[in-house]
Amino acid sequence: MKLKGYAGKILHVDLTNLTTHIIPTDKYQRWGGGHGIGAALFWDLCKDLESITDGRDERNVVTLATSPFSGTNVPSAGGRTEVTGIGTGIKPINWFARSNFGGQFSAMLKHAGWDAVTITGKAPHPVYLDIRNDKVMIRDAAELWGKDTYDTQQIIQDDVASVEATAGWNALSDGNEIGRTTQKAAVVAIGPAGENQSVFGCLVHGSGHGSGQCGFGAVFGSKNLKAISAMGTGFVDIADPAALVQARFKTRELYASDADDHKLPEVAQGESQTFMPGAAMGFHPLGGAARPLIFAQINDQHRSVGCHGCINGCKQRRDGYGNESHCQVTAWYLPPALIATRGPEAAHISIFSNREDIAEIQMYAAELVQRLGINSYPLTDGCLWLGILAQYGLVGPGKPIESSLRWDLYGSMEFAKQFCEAIAHRTDIGELLSEGFVEAAKKVERFEDVRTGNILQYPYWGMPEHGYDPRAELTWGYSTLMDSRDVNDHTFNWMFWQVNYEAAAGLKHRVDAPTMVKLYAEKMIPYANNRPEVLDFSEKNMYSEDIARAVQWQMHYNRFYKNSLLLCDFRWPDMVNINRPDFRGATADPEVGEQVYWNAITGENIDFAEGIRRGRQIYNLDNAIWALQGRHREMVTFQDYIFESKFKKSKFGGYLWPCTDDNGDWGYHNVVGRKLDREGLEQWKDHYYRLEGWDKASGWPTRSLLSELDMGFVADRLERSGKLGAES
Amino acid sequence: MTTSNHDTDTGRRHFLTAMGAAGMMIGISGNAYILKDDKMYIKTAGGALAVDLKKCMGCGTCMTTCSLVHHGKSSMSLSRIQIQQDSFAPFPDDIQMATCHQCEDAPCVKACPVNANKANDEYGFIRDIDPEKCIGCMQCIEACPYTPKRVQWNPETRCAQKCDLCVHTPFMNEDGGPEGVRACERVCPVAAIKFVTELPDAGASDADYVVNLRNDSWALSGKTIED
Repeated sequence: MKLKGYAGKILHVDLTNLTTHIIPTDKYQRWGGGHGIGAALFWDLCKDLESITDGRDERNVVTLATSPFSGTNVPSAGGRTEVTGIGTGIKPINWFARSNFGGQFSAMLKHAGWDAVTITGKAPHPVYLDIRNDKVMIRDAAELWGKDTYDTQQIIQDDVASVEATAGWNALSDGNEIGRTTQKAAVVAIGPAGENQSVFGCLVHGSGHGSGQCGFGAVFGSKNLKAISAMGTGFVDIADPAALVQARFKTRELYASDADDHKLPEVAQGESQTFMPGAAMGFHPLGGAARPLIFAQINDQHRSVGCHGCINGCKQRRDGYGNESHCQVTAWYLPPALIATRGPEAAHISIFSNREDIAEIQMYAAELVQRLGINSYPLTDGCLWLGILAQYGLVGPGKPIESSLRWDLYGSMEFAKQFCEAIAHRTDIGELLSEGFVEAAKKVERFEDVRTGNILQYPYWGMPEHGYDPRAELTWGYSTLMDSRDVNDHTFNWMFWQVNYEAAAGLKHRVDAPTMVKLYAEKMIPYANNRPEVLDFSEKNMYSEDIARAVQWQMHYNRFYKNSLLLCDFRWPDMVNINRPDFRGATADPEVGEQVYWNAITGENIDFAEGIRRGRQIYNLDNAIWALQGRHREMVTFQDYIFESKFKKSKFGGYLWPCTDDNGDWGYHNVVGRKLDREGLEQWKDHYYRLEGWDKASGWPTRSLLSELDMGFVADRLERSGKLGAES
Repeated sequence: MTTSNHDTDTGRRHFLTAMGAAGMMIGISGNAYILKDDKMYIKTAGGALAVDLKKCMGCGTCMTTCSLVHHGKSSMSLSRIQIQQDSFAPFPDDIQMATCHQCEDAPCVKACPVNANKANDEYGFIRDIDPEKCIGCMQCIEACPYTPKRVQWNPETRCAQKCDLCVHTPFMNEDGGPEGVRACERVCPVAAIKFVTELPDAGASDADYVVNLRNDSWALSGKTIED
């Protein structure tokens, strides 16, 4: 069945030979879009994946993919682009990995007539890709190399907009057959960090949409690829436009926050309106208000910014630094700025404390990383770690960690600039850090700081902890182990913000624990929809099949609906919705659920569970790739400190999560103060591998599973490589 | 602003040229035009879309929804409302919202040589292009005095098109038009678009269609409600 919603073409760019050709999308429709298509293209095009140990190997295949939702008005789904390929900076092996960014790029790429761009090889000199509808040019990037991401994008945008058809409308070339547009080209670019192949190198689109984790900026740099520009004047063909519009209207009216009549819960005393706690308005799935989700307390002279098709934008633009930066990017330099401005004791302030005095420093630091194309996530702990070492006299000229940066200005704008430029250009401390903080710690003989989680908390795959410690939020930790990077499931994890904010602010819980777990479990079709116990995070349930079921649902939901159809991680799944009288979210709803949008756009008629099944297919393709790369069960574990020391505190101090007590009654219990044990984790993996149908000894998929998923071709290749899981 | 008056509008000074009037007489139906003092007058449109430039979040949902309800396709180029944004420009100059003003003197109507672009007497005299009559000469596009032009070129139909306030929306379940639903207004997540029936006089600027739609509730989201 040929589905609507696809452009029908995938652009294959062979950089080694500087050629392009078209791959019909038909063959890849079964994988949905985004991650699924990226993984399938990688499977087909990366013939040497077993021997590639680093994403910067020119044989790596990196794909930027859209979905049938891209370029449409599906709420909070039309603007995301999935990036796949072998990453950099991942331990112990640079797995096939993923990242994702928002904005307008995927919409423009779709409107230009392309479902994905897949890149192989390495250009002989710096180039950028200029896509204008069907016309694709691999252009010399000598003039762009060395420029930051902002300058690069604006130079390309000006060039693309150089042909005016009539006032305010540009034509891609002369002639009435060619469409017109008022829009700017959508450009994704690397900065100096990517050019210099630091593992912190990321892709940046607009002024703050970044594909950060997994170092795909370094992958671009290794391929001499500076940027991809897309300009399209076409459209996405829709199977049932009226149904699509109707669903969007209903989502807007029934589930989204009414901008003119926000139903706000109480706000904590003294809380700045520009801070984003969950129970207030900012961080809430579909139901939250359009409000910047940032950690800097900016004033009211700004707008909310949404990605293409967003229903409640979480970014911002103002007249100052850091436009479009949000969430962690606005916080990476917060502790140094606080310490420098107020003294060391300031590092212990509450999340509710006023921080207006350092807002400009935070936003300046945010803009620095965006311009230089640096993934800020590792810098949060990393910059603090180095600052502490500097305090102990271990960093500086002639010191154990050689550096000529102005460490005496630590916490200032000037230091942030020096630090980021060093990282981006791999000068001074940047050379030590070019392979990431784990490698840097080893080089300076301080790996113990990683092993013990002392400042450098890297619990999984050599990646920084995301703020949701595995010892507390079991699902975040386990699902990250079952993936190849931090899982990023911010809306499943939404209850952390909701519940813990309420507790910290002294507010009554709007949704009590029994209701919360019931609502969550209802949505977890088909694995747990009658089993609220899958949300029981009590110590007695930490290694249970219940939690394995929850993670299984997360993985399969994410791989299809979120990573492949490209529903925004900050807005979907909508498990609980505070705007609804019964608090039931939009996920799986028969009128506004994910499958409703899929059916309206493509013309298929699937139910929600079918999407979960497809997610399982995509996930098993991933696992097959990881098996070929060398993944084996014993690698799937946490850093030592997760087993050896107790979790101390969350951003709010406590970490409330639904648990049952000894009588089986639900409540929000504080899960701070516990650790995991190694045997328990192995017990949990037994459950998980069995549920997935994997070989329990290796974690590899079996032929019977792959046959059931109509993936016999995957089993064949695994068998040839000796990586097919044994049947139980 | 001027309140729309569908019955008697003869006092207006905005008229078509003699040549335009002669052409317009061919195929005129209803009473969208009035001939008085040897001059042809266009009745005032029943409303137009006003926008709040500080409220818009640049998601483009209005654009794709406009295209969907009219054409069944999700497109920005086919949208009759155009949102332009620059990620690198400072607030509030980073976003422009371009809607059709349903102009009092309707230069695009005047420019049409075949009466395809007309005041639609069935729907409040909105300025509306009949694709069956449009010959694709683009004169109405060029006549639009605003930047970007509010009359668009549709490369598929090879016709001009413009905002009809959702009168011709085969892919919307509800009825559109001045008395019905305007898709962009309904879908906007932040209510930054509003249908208004009091229109500025002829020659109004874009700024005359900018309104402040932010109330105290909006202020709770941490953003300004000042003009």
